[in-house]
Formats: sequence, C-alpha cells, structure tokens
Amino acid sequence: MSEQPVVYTLPVLPLKSAVLFPYLVMPLSAGRAASIAAVEAALATESKEILIFTQRDADIDTPGKDDLYTIGTKAVIRKMNRSSEGHLELMVMGMERVVLLKVDSSEPFLKGRANPLPLPEDKGPEIEALQGALAELAGEALTLAQPNTPQELRGLLASNEDPLRLTFVLSAMFSLDAEKSQSLLEAPTRAEALRMMHRYLMHEVQVLELRNKITNEARTEMSKEQKDYLLRQQMRAIQQELGEKGGEQAEAQQLSERLEKAGLPEDILKEAKRELDRLEKLPPGAPDYNVIRTYLDYVLDLPWTKSTEDSLDIAKARQVLDEDHFGLKDVKERILEHLGVLKLNPNAKAPILCFVGPPGVGKTSLGQSIARALNRKFERMSLGGLHDEAELRGHRRTYIGAMPGRVIQAMRRAGANNPVLMLDEVDKLGHDFRGDPAHALLEILDPEQNKTFRDNYLDLPFDLSKVLFVTTANALDTIPRPLLDRMEILRLGGYSEEEKLEIAKRYLIPKQLKETGLTVEQCNLPDDTVRKIISGYTREAGLRRLERAIGRVTRKVALKFAEGAAGPFTVSVDDLVEMLGPEQFNQEEARRDLPPGVATGLAWTESGGDVLYIEGTLLPDGKGLTLTGQLGEVMQESVKAAQSYIWSHAGDFDIDPALFKNSGVHVHVPAGAIPKDGPSAGVTMATALTSLYTKLPARSDVAMTGEITLTGLVLPIGGIKEKVLAARRAGIHTVIMPKANQKDLRDLPEEVRKEMEFIFASRVEDVLQTAIPQLAERMDTCKTRLISHAA
Amino acid sequence: MSTRSKTWPTLLAERPLPWEPSADVYRTKDGWLVKFDLAGVQIGDVTVALQGRRLIVSGVRRDSFLEEGSSYYSMEISYNRFERSLLMPANLENARVTIVAREGLLLVRMITEGNENV
Repeated sequence: MSEQPVVYTLPVLPLKSAVLFPYLVMPLSAGRAASIAAVEAALATESKEILIFTQRDADIDTPGKDDLYTIGTKAVIRKMNRSSEGHLELMVMGMERVVLLKVDSSEPFLKGRANPLPLPEDKGPEIEALQGALAELAGEALTLAQPNTPQELRGLLASNEDPLRLTFVLSAMFSLDAEKSQSLLEAPTRAEALRMMHRYLMHEVQVLELRNKITNEARTEMSKEQKDYLLRQQMRAIQQELGEKGGEQAEAQQLSERLEKAGLPEDILKEAKRELDRLEKLPPGAPDYNVIRTYLDYVLDLPWTKSTEDSLDIAKARQVLDEDHFGLKDVKERILEHLGVLKLNPNAKAPILCFVGPPGVGKTSLGQSIARALNRKFERMSLGGLHDEAELRGHRRTYIGAMPGRVIQAMRRAGANNPVLMLDEVDKLGHDFRGDPAHALLEILDPEQNKTFRDNYLDLPFDLSKVLFVTTANALDTIPRPLLDRMEILRLGGYSEEEKLEIAKRYLIPKQLKETGLTVEQCNLPDDTVRKIISGYTREAGLRRLERAIGRVTRKVALKFAEGAAGPFTVSVDDLVEMLGPEQFNQEEARRDLPPGVATGLAWTESGGDVLYIEGTLLPDGKGLTLTGQLGEVMQESVKAAQSYIWSHAGDFDIDPALFKNSGVHVHVPAGAIPKDGPSAGVTMATALTSLYTKLPARSDVAMTGEITLTGLVLPIGGIKEKVLAARRAGIHTVIMPKANQKDLRDLPEEVRKEMEFIFASRVEDVLQTAIPQLAERMDTCKTRLISHAA
Repeated sequence: MSTRSKTWPTLLAERPLPWEPSADVYRTKDGWLVKFDLAGVQIGDVTVALQGRRLIVSGVRRDSFLEEGSSYYSMEISYNRFERSLLMPANLENARVTIVAREGLLLVRMITEGNENV
C-alpha cells in the first residue's frame, strides 16, 4: 500500500471558523458561490465525497491553497437542503484525516488532491492515564456548564474507547475555536492531542467555575435573609452546645426578668407572660417578633402601679399657685380643696376640670402650676383638630405600625399613674367618618369608667382614675353635652387693666427682661407706661399681645445697651411711640350724644368683651323689619320680640300707633362684617327701638345687656365680667344688667366694682327708664295723667 | 460561506463511519429472515458476513441516477459506505444463507431447519 499511496481528487470546501473532525457529523451552511459549486460537484458523484479544510484566516472570501490549513478531513455529504436565502444547508460526516497535496483548479470551485493521513495510534499507560484524566475533567466541565446534562451524553463520554474520538467530541461540545481545533486535528500523537485537550478543558473549567461563582454570589445576595436565618440557627445550636444563651433567648430572659421585677398587677402579668411565651417560640426574623417585643416593652414601661407622692402641704401649694398666677381665685380654691380632700382620703377620685376662657389668660400654664403645687408629673396634649378616635384609643396590634393612643403614650411619658394630664383645646375636637374622638373622651373622662380604660393597642385595662384631668377650651358651645356634663367648668374671664398691670409687673416684665438679658436696674417700666401699652397697643382679654409688646420694648432697650449707650433707662409714655409705633387702638371713646334710635350694648367675644352700638332707623312708606349686620337667628328673634313688646305697650310710652302702620324699621348692628348671635342684646334692641319710636335719645354713658321676653322680663346672660370690663375700657361707667346677674359681680376686681355703677333690671321698663331719661319723665306724666283721669 | 451552522446542533455519530440501513428481523418456520432497507444498492456492492451470532451487512450505495447537466436541489438519502451489524438470537454460522434483492429491499434468509445453537 505504501508504494502506491491513495490520492483523492475531490472538490474542496473551505471552512471559515470551524474544523470538521473524523467520526463527527457536523451541520454546515455553504453560501459562497465557490462553496456551493464545490458541494454541487461533490453531490454529482456517486459517493458524495468532499474535502474539508479550515481557512487560516476567516476573513478571506476566496481562499487559495495557501489560505487553507494543509491538514483537513475527507467527508461524505449526508444530507443537503436549500435554505430560503439560497444557502446550502449540509450535514457532513467526517471520514478520515487527509493532507492537502495540491490544488488543481480554483474555478469555478477549488478542486484538490489529498493523501489520507491516518490518525496516530500510539498506545501505552500514559495514554490510558491521560484519557482517564481527560474523561474525569470533561465530566467536571460538563457538570459546571450544564448541571442537567442528559445521562446518555455522560455515558457517551465514558464509553469512548478511542482517545482521539474523545478529544474530538469534547472539542465540538465545548466549541473550541478554530485554531485550537485545528491543532487538535493535526496532533502527531494521541498523547499530544490528549494533553492539548486537557489544557484547553482545564482553562474552560476555570472559566466556568468563575462564572458559576459570580452567578452564585448574585443568587446568594437574593437569599441573604434565608442565609441569615440559617446562620442564626447555627449560632443558636453552637451556643446551646457551649451552654451559652442565644441572643434572642437572652432577650427573652431579660424581658422575663423585667416582668418579674416590674411588679405588675396579677392579670396584666399573666397576659404579659403569655405574650412572652409566644415571643420565645418565634424566630427573631419573624415579622411578629418585633411586634410582640415592642408590645412587651410598652407594657413594662407603663406605670401600672407606680405613682408619685402628692405634696399635701396646703400652705406650700397655695404659695406655688400664687407665685405662678395672679388672681384666678376660684381655680386656686378648687385645687386646694382637692388637696384637702386627698389629705383626708388618699383614694379620692380626681376631679375633671375644664378651664374656659379667652386665649392668653393662662389656662395652659395654670395646668403646669397645678402639677407643681401637687408635686405631680405634668403631661399635656393638644386635642385641637384631632379627628381620629384611634389617636386617643390607639390602633389594634394587628395593624402595621400600630401604636397606643395618646393617653397611654402620655402615661408612659409621665412614668406615674397620677399625673396632671392636660387636654388642651377640647372645644376644637374634629370628627369625621373615622369616628368622633369626643366619644372616646367620654370614657376617658368618666371617673366611673376610666378605672379600666382599654387602649386598643394594649388591650389591657389601665387605671386612669388617679389622673387629674384638666381640659381647656375657649368656648363651651362646641363641646358635646355629655362630655361637658362630665367636667367641672371653671371660667377664667379676661383680665382688667389693673390685673394686667399687676401681672405685667409681677411676671411679664421680669420674664421679658430675663430673656433679653437686662437687669431690673437697667430698664425701668413705670406703671404709666405699662398702662399705656395695655390701653393703646393691645386689646385683648388675655395677655399674649401685652407680653409681646413688653418684649419689644425691652428688646429696644437691650439694643441701646448693645450699641454702647449707658443706662439705666426709664421708658416713659412718650418713648412708646418711638418704640412701638403710633397707638394701635384709640381708647374706645363712647359715642357722645346718641341720636334717637341708637343704643349702647355689650357683647361677649372669645377674646373678651366689646361695646356694641345698635342703630335703628324708620323707613317712611316702608314696611316690615330689615335686619343687617350679620345677625344670627337668635338675635333676629330677639329684635322681633323687642319690637312686639314696644308695639303692644305703645300707649305706655306715648308712641303714635300710626308709626307702626306707616313706616318700616331697619336695624343695623356694626361692625357689619362680624357675625353676631345670642339673646343678650335684647334690652339694647328694646332701648334702640323705643328711642326710635319716641324720638327721644338714649343716654350715651350707659351700656346695657340682658335678654328680654315678650312680656318684658329681663333674663340673665353670661360673660358679665368681660362685658363690664369692655364698658369700662370704653369709658362707660354705668352698666344696666339683669337682676339675676348681680351675683356675677363678685368675679370683678375690687377696684372695678368701686368705679362702676351697676343698675339691676328685672323688667324692660327699668332699663328704659334709666337709658332714656326723657322717657322716664314722659312716663311719669303719663301715669299722672292716667291717675288724674281715674280721679 | 461555509461556516458551522448555528441552527443545527452538533451531532455525534453513534458509530463513526458508514451509515446504517434500517432492518427488520423475522422468525420463520425454518430459520430467520432479515430485511434491510437498501433501495438503490446494487447487489454486487453488498457484503453479508456471519460471525457467530453477529450478522454484518456492509457495502456502498452509489448514486446512479445522475444525469449530465442536472444538479441536486436537495438530498436526504445517504450514499457511500454503509454497514449494519445485528446481534442475532442464535449462532447462525452453519445456516444456509440466501440473499435476494426485491423492490428496493435486501432480503437475507438464513435456514437452519431447527439446528440452531442458541
């Protein structure tokens, strides 16, 4: 055979970037014209054989002999199909290794001559060892590349007896590049081919390992929580092994110890222990774990049985109250009363007080003062605008982020079960579809019920009965009746000028001086100056604006010091214009010489009292009653009642009845932009209308207030203190008020009572006679006339 | 373009070189009949050999329908060398063998008349 070597003369198919090995079937696609021609020529033979050589450079389109590797494969075309793009899809089967001798022609396709180059067949233990190692490595690589490789494929690898065939299969399987595959095909010995493949595969394994590591890391991050859980479990196991307590066990232990020491009431302790049991059974990663822990923390923090000791020294308490607040006798007395009761009966129920008064009269600070006097903790919460019942009573623990209500939170902050708990702005509670917080307050503020107040979060009864509740409000009319019913109302009226002066001297000026860093010696504010500030720059029932104005004055003085001026300064009345600007309020001068149809009334407002003029005029040829000035329904009715009363008593007042028939009446109450309501202007209406119909003017130095009935009775009204003070501010020194209100005068400061003249009326006639002097004369003559008639 | 197509998976040849015709094996009254799917194969190109229980049929299928000026549009039939080795249930070395080509099938009949060395 060797003398006559076989030579194949066959079409040549150049491959761009692949190598066909003997024994392997490989799909190919032929697109180049020369390649198609070569395949067609091969198919036109009986045996369908073709020579396949790989191009050295894949970028060359029409390769010649020198562009091809000299060692290639003789193949048989098994199947051929034309694709839609005109390519030939081939299935070729590698037959044997050949060496290219010569290219006979290159047009229309390469035709070459090749000698078979039998594959090496060296044997020995080294080959066996190499083959074993390679098969093992291949198994490893396969596991890495495709963990779920079909079992048959693995079997195939293992069963490959021919070492070269193994390398060829692996090369195809791991898609080695053309150059490596070619050198594998050219290998002169099996040993070399095996070593080469081993090297390539080793590299492949390393790459795959790296890739798997990267994907694994990504996956690990995703399941970090699971990993954490696992590690924690392991740690627990280790700690148990070592006889140590685990983190969360230690935590549970700690909680349990705290529970023992906390001295909770029996039933609370039982419940808390049950929760602790649940906690111990939970893994710390469970969402419930933290919920229960926070809950237990809360239960432990609450002052179930802890209370502060009251200071029962009444003299000292009185001193504290007097230090902090001037006046306010009623309130102070009430606090001291309670202190007295506590002294005799330590378990007395605490009263629920409600301070009502205009802003700035010291309601809130009074609460603090009470706490100080009783030596109790003070907690304050504002209910203004609160519109969710759950704010007070908490959310059930099933909700995420659930918290106890504000009451329980305040108790925790106070750290004692008998604090002074101030509920500010109880008149400004809102309500909406989520419920009405006022209803929750009903339970909280009822001494019969609040012994076992149940917060939704705690779900345990908490005793609020020792808490001294103090609520504040500006007005009572927005507070629901049942709630109002539970509270003891203490009114804090506005302050008079004298009281303000006293408060300014005692508290406000020292406070403002301290804030600006001045000493009493450096800045002197004489009484006249303070009086001027009170009357010219503030108009309020409370003290906030006064305090601000004093603050401004002291700051101006401080500025002078800071600029290097040498003190001390005394701020005179004249300095005020420079410091505070022109007077903001002129002393409300009473109108002089009222025309007929105008009367002076008094009104109560949330910021104190006000003088109010009611104006009436006749409308000739008009009809009926016109009311302007934003009058509320009650006020309108009171005008009608007044009118009807006068109408029916026209004769008594010597009024021409034709007036009622022929002219209408217009009543206006300035200031027109402010809504007004209430029955207390009844007597003023009656006076204005009487003055109008009789054409007799009313006295301008008399102000009046009181409700009237159709039969002419004068009924009592509220807000006497504010109204009297307002009249006094306006320079009116006579006030007509219902007889039934006489008792309210004791609320007024001594000097006011002395300065003012009060006329108490039980019937409208009393009012009219005082307010319209000429009418009194006329009525007298009337009476005389009647008497003389009778005579 | 003669690159490796990405659409077809690399196929591993179960048995390397020749293609394998399909075969049916019949048990007959007097022996065995094996039928090979060998259409287009001339009987002279076929070799049948019996080695113990193994029956080996090999040969070449030549494409003899080529006309001058014609070319393939597609090809699915395998040509060139084929070989099929069957393991028979019995040793048939002493059987009488007849080979017949009929209707594109190669029929190998082995008559043992009951003298089988199973």
